[in-house]
Amino acid sequence: MERKEELLRIFSKDIREILGKMAVEFDEVQEIRLRVHAPLLMVYHNKEYYVSSAGNLSTYIEDAYIVSRQELQETMEYMSNYSLYAFEEEMKQGFITIQGGHRIGLAGKTIVDDCGIRSMKFISFLNVRLSHQVKGCASEVLPYLYDHGDILHTLIISPPRCGKTTLLRDMIRQISNGTGPGEGMTVGVIDERSEIGACYQGIPQNELGIRTDILDCCPKAKGMMMLIRTMSPRVIAVDEIGSREDLDAIEYVMNCGCKLIATVHGSSIEDIRQKPVLRKLVQEKVFERYIILNNKGKIGNVSQIYDSRGNQLKG
Amino acid sequence: MAIKVIGVILVLCGSSGLGWYMADRGRQHIQLLEELRKKLMLLKGEIVYGNSPLGEACARVAAKSEGEFSSFFDAVSKRIEAQRGEPLYEIWKEETGKLDRNLPLSAEDKQQLEQFGEHLGYLNTEMQERTILLYLEQLEESITYLKEHQREKSRLYTSLGILGGVFLVIILC
Repeated sequence: MERKEELLRIFSKDIREILGKMAVEFDEVQEIRLRVHAPLLMVYHNKEYYVSSAGNLSTYIEDAYIVSRQELQETMEYMSNYSLYAFEEEMKQGFITIQGGHRIGLAGKTIVDDCGIRSMKFISFLNVRLSHQVKGCASEVLPYLYDHGDILHTLIISPPRCGKTTLLRDMIRQISNGTGPGEGMTVGVIDERSEIGACYQGIPQNELGIRTDILDCCPKAKGMMMLIRTMSPRVIAVDEIGSREDLDAIEYVMNCGCKLIATVHGSSIEDIRQKPVLRKLVQEKVFERYIILNNKGKIGNVSQIYDSRGNQLKG
Repeated sequence: MAIKVIGVILVLCGSSGLGWYMADRGRQHIQLLEELRKKLMLLKGEIVYGNSPLGEACARVAAKSEGEFSSFFDAVSKRIEAQRGEPLYEIWKEETGKLDRNLPLSAEDKQQLEQFGEHLGYLNTEMQERTILLYLEQLEESITYLKEHQREKSRLYTSLGILGGVFLVIILC
């Protein structure tokens, strides 16, 4: 209930009212999409629905509530707490993360200067992606990730919306608390987009375990090196790796004796082999476990687990 | 006769007191504007260097120091954080209206404070900085003006108080 109220506060008054009337379980809502002069959409249980002005889910476009420009502008103001300026850096990347760890994707007209994207205006498309905390969702995979009590370098491969961040979050929690197969370990989390821990004024809103240190809003590559030097973690966890700087930092982490758990967009090891930067890591058999997720069934549904040689361990 | 003398003394004390009170109010007016200036400097720091959203920035400004404006910034911060779907300008305007009526602030001061809220939160950090700097400039001008005229005004109010009392005593006697 509290989660629903927390989320509704970011919407304009009319949309807030409509969503407030809805009888859906907000824990199961994955996305809410707002586009100017287009229907209000909701992805619920992996299926997209129109939202009617009476607050019902419908599959008929005639029932849909149409979002106005004014409502979208209001929503932008409320979601940033009248402080869009504070999200300048995030907006350059096309999204902002709000209290509760929910990520809001933005699209509109970009303002570009010599240094790249400076800002965005006429924001007309919003995608509110709800963050989920599913405690225990990693219990199934954790036994595959330990070797003689130590964690193995792991890469979670998943298409968007399959729950890779949710799975990573629970893995961190269990590894840190020692509720998995091994004893509790110090985990360092680099939360570049504030999605994993959803820190609000420095305090994580999602439970990440008692031995977890979080570097919030920090670029991954810099953060990995910083955490190793300062907090001496045994495990480093990062979300959505892929850049060239990340690669250097990953090599640094692994050479320091730390274990790495990371996520990446894709649907198979083959996909990762196609990626120019990550290809090297797969070829060199750097990762000892690959977890492949799919969107069949529940969030964070594990389809296969492979070892570094590509032998299937599960699925 | 004794009663007359007592009456004269009372009238003189009352009128002089009024004069001194008015002169002191002028001094308090300057102090209050200086306090507001200090708070705005803090707000600027929070926004520009701390990259804090307005709610958080106002809460910190309120917590940093005590004074008449602390409760104002605290109330604004609480209403922003409550996210009840009110425009920021409305919140700011209403809270300005709730400032203690007995505060030695002129209508112009209140109007400037109100207008400042109109432009907060708009565009990027640079814009926030400029908005605050503009308001700080206005405050600076008011403070300089008040300080320049403070001494003569203070003398005027005190003398008017005493002379007014003497005048009243002459008329009444």
